[in-house]
Amino acid sequence: MFGLAWYLGIGFVLFCTGITVMIARKSIVAILIGIELILNGAAINFVAYSKFVTQDLDGHIFPLFIIIVAAAEAAVGLAIVIRFYQIRETIHIDEATQLQS
Amino acid sequence: MFHKVLIILSSALTVASAIGVLVTKDIVRACIFLFFSLFGVAGIYASLGADFVAVTQIMVYVGGVVILMLFAVMLTGGPGKESAGSKGYLLIPMMGNKITFGFGIFSGLVLLLTMAKITKSVIASVTISEVEGFASTVERIGSLLVSEHVLAFEISSILLLGALVGAAMIARPRKNV
Repeated sequence: MFGLAWYLGIGFVLFCTGITVMIARKSIVAILIGIELILNGAAINFVAYSKFVTQDLDGHIFPLFIIIVAAAEAAVGLAIVIRFYQIRETIHIDEATQLQS
Repeated sequence: MFHKVLIILSSALTVASAIGVLVTKDIVRACIFLFFSLFGVAGIYASLGADFVAVTQIMVYVGGVVILMLFAVMLTGGPGKESAGSKGYLLIPMMGNKITFGFGIFSGLVLLLTMAKITKSVIASVTISEVEGFASTVERIGSLLVSEHVLAFEISSILLLGALVGAAMIARPRKNV
């Protein structure tokens, strides 16, 4: 029962929830939370394929790098959010219009 | 038996908390739900035999990223403050509307059909390996990181240094602006 399809299903649910959070939420911090969910869904797929298909450890290396990149992205993204709040005094995504023409 | 209980519990925790992130209105509650969801993902890694990845997930994600997000929420006004911004939005925005939710669910369905078509042949041909003795993967991952994947390992150190310096530069308070 708990084969490859089970883990792919969990990864799919995480990915879709992340996409929907990114589309539906209006707060920049919530959009970053959605990005974290998407990255986790992808990483589950890597580990599941490495256990059920290739049976080596290369699939364990990729989640480590995904975690590293997600940590760096969260640090820079939240720094941008704090700076944006200092300037505009809101974190609503529709207020971020500085780069629009 | 223990393996099945671990799989079921961590899967239920992951999926339920992810849906909680989606439907809750409070941003702090979304952060707490994200905490539990990432914890469940660590349990899924442990059930797949990836012990080192599970521990790294708990240390970096659960201990680092979620706490960082909570700090960002606190520094940007926190929840429950409902005065309007310069364009009339709420200062701490809550949720989207029906159109954005519908768009997200539609894109999810399209993705489900596409993925099912792509992965059908792989799932049909997979060989189920039985649960072997729980061998630690730390030593083999360590030697892989410094032999085969050493370039990515070094580049990630540069990336982390750049992210650290860049985050400190961006968030630094300035006098004018």
